[in-house]
Amino acid sequence: MKRALSNPLALSGFIIISGIFLLALFAPLIAPYDPDAIDVKAILLNPSSIHLMGTDGLGRDVFSRMLFGARISLLVGLVAVGIATAIGIVLGAIAGYYRGWVDVVIMRTVDVMLSIPTFFLILAVIAFLTPSIWNIMIVIGLTSWMGVTRLVRAEFLSLRNREFVMASETLGASDKRLIFKHLLPNSMTPVIVSSVLGVASAVLIESGLSFLGLGVQAPQASWGNILTDGKEYIQFAWWLSLFPGFAILITVLGYNLFGEGLRDVYDPRSSKSR
Amino acid sequence: MVYMRDYFFSVLNSNRVVALLLVTSLAACGRSPVDQVVNYDIEYPPEDGGTMIDATRGEPGGLITMIAGDAAASAVSQNIFNSLLRYDKNLEFEGELAESWQISPDQRVITFKLKPDLKWADGKPLTSADVLFTWQLLTDDKTRTPYGSDYKLVIKAETPDARTFRVTYAEPYAPAVNSWAGMDVLPKHLLEGQDINNTPFARNPVGSHYYKLEKWRPGEQISLVRNTLSTQGPARIDRLVSRFIPDEASQFLELMANNIDTMALSPVQYARIFPARPELQQKFALYKELGNSYTYLGFNLKRKPFNDIRVRKAINYAINKQELIDGVLLGMGEPVASPYKPGTRWTNPNLSPYSYDPARARELLREAGFKDTNGDGILERNGKPLTFEILTNQNKQREMSAVLVQRRLKEVGIDVKIRVLEWASFIGRFIKTGDFDMVLLGWQLAIDPDQYAIWHSSQQAPGQFNFIGYKNQRVDRLLERGRMELNPDKRMKIYHEFAEILLEDSPIVYLFAGYGLQAMHKRIKGIDNPAPPKGIGHNSQDWYIPRPLRRTEISQ
Repeated sequence: MKRALSNPLALSGFIIISGIFLLALFAPLIAPYDPDAIDVKAILLNPSSIHLMGTDGLGRDVFSRMLFGARISLLVGLVAVGIATAIGIVLGAIAGYYRGWVDVVIMRTVDVMLSIPTFFLILAVIAFLTPSIWNIMIVIGLTSWMGVTRLVRAEFLSLRNREFVMASETLGASDKRLIFKHLLPNSMTPVIVSSVLGVASAVLIESGLSFLGLGVQAPQASWGNILTDGKEYIQFAWWLSLFPGFAILITVLGYNLFGEGLRDVYDPRSSKSR
Repeated sequence: MVYMRDYFFSVLNSNRVVALLLVTSLAACGRSPVDQVVNYDIEYPPEDGGTMIDATRGEPGGLITMIAGDAAASAVSQNIFNSLLRYDKNLEFEGELAESWQISPDQRVITFKLKPDLKWADGKPLTSADVLFTWQLLTDDKTRTPYGSDYKLVIKAETPDARTFRVTYAEPYAPAVNSWAGMDVLPKHLLEGQDINNTPFARNPVGSHYYKLEKWRPGEQISLVRNTLSTQGPARIDRLVSRFIPDEASQFLELMANNIDTMALSPVQYARIFPARPELQQKFALYKELGNSYTYLGFNLKRKPFNDIRVRKAINYAINKQELIDGVLLGMGEPVASPYKPGTRWTNPNLSPYSYDPARARELLREAGFKDTNGDGILERNGKPLTFEILTNQNKQREMSAVLVQRRLKEVGIDVKIRVLEWASFIGRFIKTGDFDMVLLGWQLAIDPDQYAIWHSSQQAPGQFNFIGYKNQRVDRLLERGRMELNPDKRMKIYHEFAEILLEDSPIVYLFAGYGLQAMHKRIKGIDNPAPPKGIGHNSQDWYIPRPLRRTEISQ
């Protein structure tokens, strides 16, 4: 970790993400107002010292909603990627270790999944389920495990032919011991990098879904649905579009910087300098 | 970071950037640069000539409204075709092609007498034969029109002479009069023997109203030019151009760029953008018209506990209607207490909406047996919490209303979830199957008071409009009587009583009726302000554009 943070990219990404995490974690303490408190006498106020980021079409404080929205965005990102990574590791490990027809089935499934545009697949699935934050996390998770599967499988394939693995296999180590002691720990680095990058895209997908009205449902705030609300007023209430847009941008940027930084540090093939 | 923020504030906070963009776009379009200094507020005497440009959201499918059926088609064709009757500015009937009309004592026969010497735009005479021909087309099963049902009730239509058209109904049918104000009379001499569903006439119509088609440029615009043979006398403005601009935001930009003269505004545009921009106020006049629809919260009356009138009333008292109007419509609407346009004949003036009275609401819920037994703030009855789902479709105003309703109901101990659905699945999966607790939707405020289809207990089959399952025998009787009564005063009493029972029964909560909001370039003079019940369009033939205020027109 120390080595990772010596990389300026990874460090700046890490600082951004931790900042947002802290804001989200302490949202109830920081937020000056109840994020759902409606005040029809204070509709669409400009940002000021009373309402740091102005108010929305129902007079709700945008700053408070942004803080609580951050919780949703981060939660969705982490849980969805957690699901995707878990599925990816299991399938990738099976495919890479056992080879044969299991490998063929799993990898062709991956190809099929990859050939479907993920966002539209998610849209189609959500249309049948009730849109809710849990459904969204699960659906995003179930549709974005393919990259991890490929990575883990590729690592397994190359590790299996390395001397230390062959040695312990010759010494009679069980499948279980081989997988969990030797192969998995040694293939985790690319998985971590890709997961960090995956969080960024999950945050984007959630925002996109909420923007289309299929994500987090009213009155709960998420950056995506604050942004949708802002669309209608964009000609004069710029703060409704700017702040959530900027927050999404910064968060995605943070995860991407962190992920790229980690890759530079741990992946010898892609690093330019050490 | 601080620096960043200040930068964004300073750039985006000024309207100067936008104004600058507008000025450059104006110059780029080659519009008159003097536009900025003309004073549009000076009064001028009426004069003929000029061009008025408006915008439609889509391109009409054709200009025969009974076939096309889209809003764009009727917006254009209302300037080309006449009906027998029309509504005057106070929404009372008056003759358009008809000079007079008589209803027989048994209320089954209506006889229309046409005005003398009516002519089509091509010079041929317009007679009762054309009216009969149009009625035959509308009621022909081969004609693909959704508007035939009212006209099919006519059992006999005849033309005793060239100026008389007489229809006979099996039994009195009051909405009939209204239907004769909605039938565009078509020329028999041009359409006889043609397939009305696919006739070139739809794109090259000949009518009898103030304007006739000049040129239809597909994908771009339709222009109409004054019809010198108009049956209603001449209009003042020479040309009407309707441009096809599907997107509201682009319409607004075109309006500000002086490329269209008028458009319908959203409450935000009307109440926020215009007041904040003096340069827009110099050029545009804003008009407020009675709305065309009301928004309501409807209960599924077949489900518990909505079959209990106390629960329905409690919810009605718990909702603050003024707050909805202020919040959702920015004040651009009014509460309603009957399903008719406020201030018109059919609205019962003695009715007023349920006041906002949360104490009363709690009281009623307690009477109905709901109590908060476990202290979670939500009321229960027999251990079951009072929790529902409000369904609505993807419509910003309705979603916002649902959020406000949700909060107010929470205050009296009702837990409400909101579900927003896309229209097709909303209708298909929930409305047709009756699988909902509450819906937040809108109904049109039609001019004819007949609401049989919405409230009569016989209209509850899947796909019919009484999907909330309202059943009240007195209302059924009144709706049946209202349909049979052609005398406007007697009819009025019937519908006043109907609205009173409906309000008392509270099968829906009337939330609000939004105003129709219109921006009109000040170069167009002669518009009534404030708008009469019919709206500002009632005297469009008298509108005029003084020469000094006209656009510099490029001749083609």
